[in-house]
Amino acid sequence: MVLAVLVAATINVAATTTDLRELVAVVGGDRVRVESLTDPSQGHHPRELLPRQLTLLASADLLVRVGLDNEPWLARALRTVKTRARDLDGSKAVALLGTETPRLRSDERPHIHAFGSPNYWLDPEDAHPLTAKILESLADLAPADRPLFEANRARFLTALDARMARWLDQLRPYRGTRVVVGHDAWPYFARRFGLTITATVEEKPGIPPSAKYLGTLIERMRQTGVRVIIADPESPMPLLQRIAGATGARVARLVPSVGADPAATDYLTLFEVNVTRLLTALGP
Amino acid sequence: MLELLWLPFLACLVLAGIHAYLGLHVLARGVIFVDLALAQVAALGMTTALLVGYAPQSDAAYYYALAFTVCGAGLFALTRRHEPAAAEGVPQEAIIGIVYAVAAALTVLVLDRVAQGGEQIKQLLVGSILSVTADEVARVAGLYAGIGVVHWLCRRPLLAISLGHPVAHTRAWDFLFYLTFGLVVTSSVRIAGVLLVFSYLIVPAVLAASLTRSIGRRLGIGWSAGFAVSVVGLAGSYVWDLPTGATIVATFGALAVLATFGLAGIRLIARLRAQGVQTLHGAVVGAGLLVALAGGALAVLPKADHFWLTAIEEVIPPVETAFLSPYERAVFADSQAAIARGTSEARRLQALQTDVQWGLRDLPEEERERLRQFLLSRSEIVAGDRMVLRTLRSKARERQRYVLGMPLVLAGLAVAGAGLRLRRRPRRAATRDVTPSAPRAVV
Repeated sequence: MVLAVLVAATINVAATTTDLRELVAVVGGDRVRVESLTDPSQGHHPRELLPRQLTLLASADLLVRVGLDNEPWLARALRTVKTRARDLDGSKAVALLGTETPRLRSDERPHIHAFGSPNYWLDPEDAHPLTAKILESLADLAPADRPLFEANRARFLTALDARMARWLDQLRPYRGTRVVVGHDAWPYFARRFGLTITATVEEKPGIPPSAKYLGTLIERMRQTGVRVIIADPESPMPLLQRIAGATGARVARLVPSVGADPAATDYLTLFEVNVTRLLTALGP
Repeated sequence: MLELLWLPFLACLVLAGIHAYLGLHVLARGVIFVDLALAQVAALGMTTALLVGYAPQSDAAYYYALAFTVCGAGLFALTRRHEPAAAEGVPQEAIIGIVYAVAAALTVLVLDRVAQGGEQIKQLLVGSILSVTADEVARVAGLYAGIGVVHWLCRRPLLAISLGHPVAHTRAWDFLFYLTFGLVVTSSVRIAGVLLVFSYLIVPAVLAASLTRSIGRRLGIGWSAGFAVSVVGLAGSYVWDLPTGATIVATFGALAVLATFGLAGIRLIARLRAQGVQTLHGAVVGAGLLVALAGGALAVLPKADHFWLTAIEEVIPPVETAFLSPYERAVFADSQAAIARGTSEARRLQALQTDVQWGLRDLPEEERERLRQFLLSRSEIVAGDRMVLRTLRSKARERQRYVLGMPLVLAGLAVAGAGLRLRRRPRRAATRDVTPSAPRAVV
């Protein structure tokens, strides 16, 4: 009987990414059961809906998603299952980058994410508004647990802020450094840590760049002495290695999401790993 | 340009060399999609290597892929039927299709259990000819030279089997063929991707087979086609700023279309000489119906996209502007001029913005923000002008629908009717048989 009451009292949360899952977990603690609907090693756009995803959605009390156009599969999933879950769109909690008027753009530059750059969790400061929103949603579902959620959040943010100060200190000598990225996934991270992204190797993910674009990129990198290329697991590594070989740059393989690399086990280690790898590439 | 393209060019030459030859066998055997199936089997092998714990780029992953390909080769050798009754049984293309589908599905299932590597497998199938290294080119060139020597030594039985002639130890020779073929496909797909490998294999072989019967000449034509397409495709990719692999495949497609039209044209001229103009009746009827259909579509759906009419209007603007009022014409001209001005200015400022981003020019932070805002607003203004043009074009279409659409329907039907009458005209006395005989291979 007691066990049944406890199980019933647990808040089921479905997060669309492992990063949001981690943020829900740190606020909700043992009062929530949260799972990610996607596996970061498979990319954020699953090939096919899985039964597990539908089960999670059907039983969720709260759905936490990145929003914008980051989860094109989610609409399909929500049409398939009936869910009572409240909807928390993380993109409404943060200040977005790259949001300028998508429909009327007349230039020919690719604009993959038409409503703004979705990788906002890669700015550790965005954890503040995101966890605030999560706290409000969880507290609405379990008002009696609000003090517990607030304490959990405060503890997490204290740890995050302490590390944030250290990361900023470590990367301070490299503020303003120009870098090239494999994919357009790092604007928030770059802005927070003072890096300037000068170009993207694969402007449209999965479509190789042309020889002309690559030639210009290599020439510019040589001309301006750009010495770091930021790659992620979805980057075309042979191509990045070739560019690195031609320009003398180093490839820093960063991790875009918790779990996308075995070393990035939670939200804090995600940044530990990224800052360490970036320092190695930027260093002498 | 040369620095970036000479290695891909060498890789293309190596691919053309071996694939144009193997394509002749594949075509003769009628197993067109065997390379797609073997490439998928290789991808399954590589995925399994990831599951076991090897890195996608490691030698171990390559050997896994190779081992799976050998199994696939064995399966294809075993399932090939040589007896005359084979035609009544299960065609080998069906087996190839099943192997492809099952291997692809198993790859998805295995990838679902692999922590990393899904993207690499995807890239393996898509390929990236632009990132090929000198070491990779040297390795595949050496491997293919060795396979070429083996095929030269065994050319008689291998060719005889491909052409359907009886040979002793057929299964063993078949296995040797599929084994070497699998080796080539596994290695080629790794550097060039499935689409490019398929194109190098099939298009030159099909082109050569439609031009000559001699195996030697077919090989020469296949190599020449592969060389020409490599040069044109790589140059086109550079000049038009397009992804290299896809451009080469598209060039192969263009070559196939050109060759088809060229051969059809030659046959048509021969028939015209022999049978007179009534041989064109089919083409005349077809063209007439097409014109009638285009006119009908314009009359019924004026707001739909009529690309043929847009193309004509690009060349002869009065076809469009004649349907606008004087005021609309003035707005149309203003918008066109504004788009040209705005685009050119935006391009200039974008170049400045890129230079600033790269640090080649300095601009205070405030100026940078102003530049960004200015570019955005300029971009919106150009988009607005384009919308004005679209609105005016839509108005013109409404007026064109009957004035152009209905006469086109009538003219098209008249042309089609003329074509039908051409058919009924008595044929010129012609006894010469000009139907080209299907080329047959000579061993």
